[in-house]
Amino acid sequence: MIRIYPREEYCTGCRLCEIHCIVEHSESRDIIKAFKRERRPQKRVEVEESGHLSFALQCRHCDEAPCVDACLTGAMRRDARTGAVINDRDRCVGCWTCILVCPYGAVRRDAGEHKVVAKCDLCPHLEVPACVANCPNEALVMEEVPGDGDQAL
Amino acid sequence: MAIKRYDYVIVGNSAAGVNAAAALREADRKGSVAVFTDEDRFAYSRPLISYLVAGEVDGRRMLYRDPSFYRRLGADLYRGEGVSEVDYGEKRLKTSKSRSFAWGKLLLATGSKPFIPPVDGLERVRCSTFINWDDARSMQRATRKPECRVLVMGAGLIGMKAAEAALARSARVTVIEMMERVLPAALDAEASRMVQERCAERGLEVRTGCRAVSVEPRGGSSGSAFLEDGSEIGFDLLVVAVGVRPRLDLVGDGGPAVSRGILVDDALSTSLPDVYAAGDVAEAWDLVWEEPRVNALWPNAALQGKYAGWNMGGRRVPYPGSLSMNSVEFFGLPVVSAGVVNPPDGAYREIAEHFPDGTYRKVVIRNDRLVGMLVAGDIERAGIYTSLIQEKAPLRRIKGALLSESFSHAYLPQAVRHARIIKGAAGLKAADKGA
Repeated sequence: MIRIYPREEYCTGCRLCEIHCIVEHSESRDIIKAFKRERRPQKRVEVEESGHLSFALQCRHCDEAPCVDACLTGAMRRDARTGAVINDRDRCVGCWTCILVCPYGAVRRDAGEHKVVAKCDLCPHLEVPACVANCPNEALVMEEVPGDGDQAL
Repeated sequence: MAIKRYDYVIVGNSAAGVNAAAALREADRKGSVAVFTDEDRFAYSRPLISYLVAGEVDGRRMLYRDPSFYRRLGADLYRGEGVSEVDYGEKRLKTSKSRSFAWGKLLLATGSKPFIPPVDGLERVRCSTFINWDDARSMQRATRKPECRVLVMGAGLIGMKAAEAALARSARVTVIEMMERVLPAALDAEASRMVQERCAERGLEVRTGCRAVSVEPRGGSSGSAFLEDGSEIGFDLLVVAVGVRPRLDLVGDGGPAVSRGILVDDALSTSLPDVYAAGDVAEAWDLVWEEPRVNALWPNAALQGKYAGWNMGGRRVPYPGSLSMNSVEFFGLPVVSAGVVNPPDGAYREIAEHFPDGTYRKVVIRNDRLVGMLVAGDIERAGIYTSLIQEKAPLRRIKGALLSESFSHAYLPQAVRHARIIKGAAGLKAADKGA
């Protein structure tokens, strides 16, 4: 599976990763439509800042993910094919237990037709996740790591 | 006649039982596994019953795992067949259908049962509880009647969820609570006040600091409750939700040692060899109170089940300990809490703050370690606190930043940040897969 790592020494705090994450998870995947016409989806990556320090952080796709263990409904699970931790929005009821247990603060509430959480899905439709591909300063890097979802039952 | 034998028997098919079965299969690919449940259903999410009543989820979305889960695991599910007797010496059990089975290792994941308080006349009223699917159906039936009056005894998590569900069905709902505030265990006084304010706005009547001394039937499920001050509350449905107790029916003579729940060590192993316990029925080490405790909460049950499954299956992975935690949302106000939210003595330091957006946040510190937290309102990133509690990380320099408005990993020391984000060392440590 792939993992994304931030490099804080290169992050300018421009938040383009957030913008492109929103576009990729929008209905049209078009930046103008996503921001001006459609319901704007929740971003799945967040630029964390303190003073001059900044870096982008998204779900770490933990090996033993606390959100998967704690999920009340079974919506949060590991994808058997990609190894990514993904949330089934149809089964999520927005109880926020995953937010309560995520060590990274990487799961967010997503206002919409029903209460649901949003988190990084590693952009399954893209070769390179949108946040990594659109970082102007290579402050987000992607790595292929061993490991898969063979435990996902 | 030879009786059927399973290498592993799991009694109970909810959070603990289901996660135990999956983990067991990770640790032991071959052993035979059976799961027994007295309910004639596939595993479903008990916390969702209020959503079911309110019509927010349907029967399909109630399911905790796909029905094919058991087949894919190679486990036999005995639905509608509870275990009625266990012979711990002979390693046998008898089911409600009078069938006998032999077992190699046994997991007691029998959950909890509602506590029925000693209220005069309660046994003569057809009252309901609110912990399973059938309870949800009862409430749906009762609230079909227009202007249905629902009285909920107890303003804990279950009582408040029952009240919210009944309100969604347009019932007239009253909650009575013995303590001075709602959700007295999960929340602190300030957060309780915030929740109560929302309840009042939405027409949910909550009467705290009062207790029913008697109830009288008035036909069907209707009746009247009489409070200490002499006032009378009429109801068409009475929901008793004053707490739950571990379901210890199978712990008789020769059973495992019990305190409040079945005592377990860090392998979720009981005082008897080859007998394990997990979930609401178990009393496991609590990592902030530093003593064995029953933490009857879904995420704890799920995690205990997982560690029980691994350890039963021969993969020795120590259970890191339980942590009480709650996530609730009433009428648009989300509140999350973990660990100690109501410190018992002066050994704890509380730092609390209200923010301009209406958010209330509190952290509780003991010996330079974070032992409790509560956030009401903007709950994003609250899990970072939870993980700091679980890791028992020394707070040192970050103490001042804990309550800053955008507290995040950017406020953690560089080395800690690096360890967590790059090495993925946050949260419960990944189990050693080679063990």
